[in-house]
Amino acid sequence: MSSQEDRSTPESGGIFASRRSFLKRALAGATVGSSALLHARGAMATIGAGEKAGSTAEPASIAPSPEAFAEGNALERMRVDLHRAMQKPVADRRWGMVIDLRKCINCRACTVSCVAENALPPGVVYRPVMSEEIGSFPNVRMKFLPRPCMQCENPPCVPPCPVGATYKRPDGVVVVDYEQCIGCRYCISSCPYGARSFDFSEFHEEHAPRITDYETRPNYEYGREHKRVPENRTASPMGNARKCHFCLHRVHAGILPGCVTTCLGGATSFGDLNDPDSLVSRLSASEHVTRLKSELGTSPKVYYLT
Amino acid sequence: MLAGAAAIARRTEAAAGYAGESVAGNYILARPENIIYSTCLQCHVDCQIKAKTWDGVLAKLCGNPYSPQNYLPHLAYDTAPAAAAAADGKLCAKGQAGIQTYSDPYRLRRVLKRAGPRGSDKWKSIPFDQFIDEVVRGGALFSESGDKRHYPGFEEVIAVRDPAISRQLADDAARVGRGEMTLGAFKAAHKAHLDKLVDPEHPDLGLKNNQFVFDAGRIEHGRKELMKRFTKGTLGSVNCFEHTSICEQSHHIAYSQLSGHATHHMKPDLANARFVIFWGTGAFTANFGLVPMAEKVTTGKVDRGMKTCVVDPRLSNDAAKADWWLPVRPGTDAVLAMGFIRWMLENKRYDASYLSNSNKAAAALGGEPTWTNATHLVKIEDGQGRRLLRASEVTVDGPNGRRPLGGPDEVVVMVAGSPVAVNPEDESSPVKGDLFVSTTLSRHEVKSALQLVREKAMAFSLEEVGKTTGVSPELIERMALEFTSHGKRAAVELYRGPVQHTDGYYAGTAIILLNLLIGNPDHKGGIVKGGGHWHESGGKPGSVYDLKAHPNAMKVFGPPITREKAHYEDFTLFRENGYPAARPWYPFSGNVYQEVIPSFVQGYPYHGKILFLHKGTPVLSTPAGNTLIELLKDPDKVPLFIACDIIVGETSMYADYILPDLTYLERWGTPHVTPDVLTKTSKVRQPVARPLTEEVEVDGELMPISLEAFMIALAKKMGLSGFGREAFGPGTSFHRPEDFFLKAIANIAFGDKKGETVPDASVEELKQFKAARRHLPPSVFDEDRWKKAVKPAEWPKLVYVLNRGGRFAPPSTAYEGELAHKKLGKMWHIFVQQVAERKSSITGRYFSGVPVAPGQRDCKGKALARDTRYPFTLITYKEPFGGHSRTISNYWGNLGLVDTNYILVNAADAKKRGLRKGDVVRLVSASNPQGRVDLGNGSVVQITGAVRPVEGLAPGTVAVSGHFGHWAYGSRDITVDGHLVRGEKRRAAGLNPNTAMAVDPNLEDVCLTDPIGASASFFDTSVDLVPV
Repeated sequence: MSSQEDRSTPESGGIFASRRSFLKRALAGATVGSSALLHARGAMATIGAGEKAGSTAEPASIAPSPEAFAEGNALERMRVDLHRAMQKPVADRRWGMVIDLRKCINCRACTVSCVAENALPPGVVYRPVMSEEIGSFPNVRMKFLPRPCMQCENPPCVPPCPVGATYKRPDGVVVVDYEQCIGCRYCISSCPYGARSFDFSEFHEEHAPRITDYETRPNYEYGREHKRVPENRTASPMGNARKCHFCLHRVHAGILPGCVTTCLGGATSFGDLNDPDSLVSRLSASEHVTRLKSELGTSPKVYYLT
Repeated sequence: MLAGAAAIARRTEAAAGYAGESVAGNYILARPENIIYSTCLQCHVDCQIKAKTWDGVLAKLCGNPYSPQNYLPHLAYDTAPAAAAAADGKLCAKGQAGIQTYSDPYRLRRVLKRAGPRGSDKWKSIPFDQFIDEVVRGGALFSESGDKRHYPGFEEVIAVRDPAISRQLADDAARVGRGEMTLGAFKAAHKAHLDKLVDPEHPDLGLKNNQFVFDAGRIEHGRKELMKRFTKGTLGSVNCFEHTSICEQSHHIAYSQLSGHATHHMKPDLANARFVIFWGTGAFTANFGLVPMAEKVTTGKVDRGMKTCVVDPRLSNDAAKADWWLPVRPGTDAVLAMGFIRWMLENKRYDASYLSNSNKAAAALGGEPTWTNATHLVKIEDGQGRRLLRASEVTVDGPNGRRPLGGPDEVVVMVAGSPVAVNPEDESSPVKGDLFVSTTLSRHEVKSALQLVREKAMAFSLEEVGKTTGVSPELIERMALEFTSHGKRAAVELYRGPVQHTDGYYAGTAIILLNLLIGNPDHKGGIVKGGGHWHESGGKPGSVYDLKAHPNAMKVFGPPITREKAHYEDFTLFRENGYPAARPWYPFSGNVYQEVIPSFVQGYPYHGKILFLHKGTPVLSTPAGNTLIELLKDPDKVPLFIACDIIVGETSMYADYILPDLTYLERWGTPHVTPDVLTKTSKVRQPVARPLTEEVEVDGELMPISLEAFMIALAKKMGLSGFGREAFGPGTSFHRPEDFFLKAIANIAFGDKKGETVPDASVEELKQFKAARRHLPPSVFDEDRWKKAVKPAEWPKLVYVLNRGGRFAPPSTAYEGELAHKKLGKMWHIFVQQVAERKSSITGRYFSGVPVAPGQRDCKGKALARDTRYPFTLITYKEPFGGHSRTISNYWGNLGLVDTNYILVNAADAKKRGLRKGDVVRLVSASNPQGRVDLGNGSVVQITGAVRPVEGLAPGTVAVSGHFGHWAYGSRDITVDGHLVRGEKRRAAGLNPNTAMAVDPNLEDVCLTDPIGASASFFDTSVDLVPV
């Protein structure tokens, strides 16, 4: 029996669980919140792609929260920093990240958080953590290095793009316009940090009896809804170059990037480098700060503390 | 370049800005009506999670910012959920991949019944009702496949259903056990019921009901209480178990015995400690756990100047970041701890004032919440400390001649050389005793408890310690000096590493003793017991429901089938057979997981008949668990085998029936908090995702199949107590899972003290609550039905708790001056009489009341000999993204970050053996010389893996992580209802190190085990690597 055949059985009452059948039932029988389902999508402003989403008329259900709700919490402080930055015109912001390598514990929570947040397919990883063993027994150490996109001031990935699909936003974040990207991969080979990868239109559950719902839920990169279904493997961002975008869709909603909020060692900081009062401004001014391959003149906006 | 510049210009104005629409509410996954807070269970840390749904699909899991485990410090409890929506807390890689545990394409929806011999991989799906009917009735259940054998059902095994009969028999049976009643007298008095006993010749072994065994791998508070309710009160069996002994049970038993059972788990106060030794554990990978602990250590080290030392044969992530790494030889932890103790005592680097406090009054005077029995005198018998000297046993000169020094409840200490009677709990008369005493009093040879410790520690010179452990005497001295240089702001943390050995209890007590020597318990930066929780089961003045109430509960009796928490000497078997017992008894421990199935099959102390395995996979997760395969596959040995699982796993593949369960993301729970958290915390687990199991009707109630549905259905079918109408007493009922869990959560909302209630949820919050559950089917969420599970006035408070995923005291309540707010406040037993006065059921020799370092031994006390054919010692470890047995379905984590596991070998060892990176070798041991696992169904699993030479591993050691090497769990082809379901081969990558681990040579069907703490030995097996 082929895996295709396997996939057809559950819908018709096979032994393996299917959420679609429950969804159907829930929709058919539910009196609870069925109208609430209707407003659950498509309500976001797009970011950087020059167009508005369908229903921005949806009223915001909460107010922006400028005050921190927990004293002494670095994430709360950065959330307030972020809010302050968002009050400024976009060209006055300069998003940056500081990663304190002394606090990185190689837990990979950032890697998985990013994959989950952006619904990344196999082979696409925006934020790997590299590790290296140094020395010989018993004088031996391990070094850990999280490697997001460096969001270079002079991004070497931008000029090679033949269609202008990748560019640096006024706030310094290097983005990909999936609608313009033709999947030529020039940008991938031109990034000195290996921070870009190609979306081969695959699914994690490709070889399992079924591709389940979480894999086909849309992601919200750049504030747009990108639906990913196995039936249509040409829809963007499938077949596109992909990269870290500092979770702009979260940032524009007042939320810190996924790798920042989940950093278990508290190693990752994010904020506006143009704001002298932000945590990242303070940290990036440390004498222990370094940047990767700075000799290339790329001028990354990701700083490492060692 | 031009194209790029043009692109920038073209899109500059398009970046809309923040004002107006761009707030959290406009991001679908950040809207409060798309968020439910619950509790993780990818591991036992039970982090609090924020589950985000997209159109009813579980899309993202983050940490809950209301929780002190996941946000440091956590949000004020009265923060509105709408505002908290923009604050994501921390969650580890494993936790975030939990969506894939839930959504696993191989999950089971309907009940499976085997359609061939056990382990044949052939199944058919059957209706839930048929399943209940068949297991209740029993009979020739598999006659369809030509098997005429009789399978026992619950009707047959649950022989006694009248609690009055159970009560009648219980007391007299125990009397027979203790020799206070003759067997003849018992038989005459109870002749009508002798056929209901598991063994009428040994009535003290209990009812036939004991032949039902509930064997749980992971079960937690909420379900744990239900397991006990169901097994004991409802079914009348004494046998329900968890998996603790394959985790780190001896560490719990060490804490429990030392603290006089006041606690079984303490943790360093990492936020304030200046120096911490992580002994066989850490804060960055597993333990309890990396999410709450890691940041306290990283910020401590970088921002506060904290130092750390890691004792571990392998350079773990913690060791990589530590100031010192002590690559100890596996199994020598007790010796290393003795080295520390010796140096501290010899150099007077201990808190003499703390240790000399002989009673509570003296402790209070010194500002100490705890004290110890270091000064209490112990009677010496056969050269060993056996029992505390009682003041009534000493006579002194009085005005009218000799008189007893004091009463039998008082102990004796020497004060400046003179004996003084002391009540250790006395709060009014402080006594400070002499620390080191060795003398004779009223013809009793006595020594102070600390003197006993000193004598044991002095048995090892630091040079010997260095030679045995591989840690140089200089380094031991350096670490002991460091440890004693920060006052009470230093601590030793231990967990699995030092205790999953046959001397685990002794190693554990020796290591904890280091904390006691500097008197750090309850101090800021010392070891703390944690903030605890509000009591969900009730029984407190503020509680609104008593969920322990169980009218008409059965009275259970007889020893558990694992012979735990039971003294051999109290049973007829002892008087008939003496020492050695046929298998070890474990009077000090519980949840002796590795013994459940072997004992069940061997019939010692009695045979089991129905094995109910829940969320456990002993074949995979127990050392040498593969030896269980030939037991489980034989219905003559395990007559009825029901597994409750989410998938066909390595153990459930041998079951007669598999009852599909809900994952933690679809169901309820009330787990407790780790001691690492110093503020009071009550966690709630609640359904966040649509249930994936079949919806069934149980006595008129629609619900998804689950463990709870099974319990309710079975109890009702058999007319038993504890479920259904008036389950908790008049006016209550237990027809559905929420009938129990919502009451438990109401208890949390109302608190322990009267008037300690949470606020009511606002109208807006009540709306959000309902909207956030709009994707759940009515069989799970029906607001009106949920409301009816509690009283109307309780509902808005319940919603307040549910909307925050639990109840959390503010960060400001963690400390009280220089002490933890929540204190242990009890006496530590440096000499543990309870252990010292008991004998091994096998050797008949006394255990030691103070730590010793006997090395690794089998159950007969014989030292494990080095076998030159197997030159390496095998250890295991965890990655921060994987669990032991249930994360191979996690494409983002376990499978997404690495393809397989490896056999780590010290680089110099590898070179010596000519092994290079990537060489495939077979892992062999004396217990598994062929390095293979015969699945008993025609297939064989090869225990092979790729070598990875590393510098960060003690020479002579090989290390294999525990997340790979599956042969089921979606990795093998199975047939269901005639359809082939293909397994995913990548799930079978790597190797499972447990399969090479040693069996006890005397028992042959179970791994080596600590006779006191009952921990299964994971790190004492000698192995070799054979190139394939």
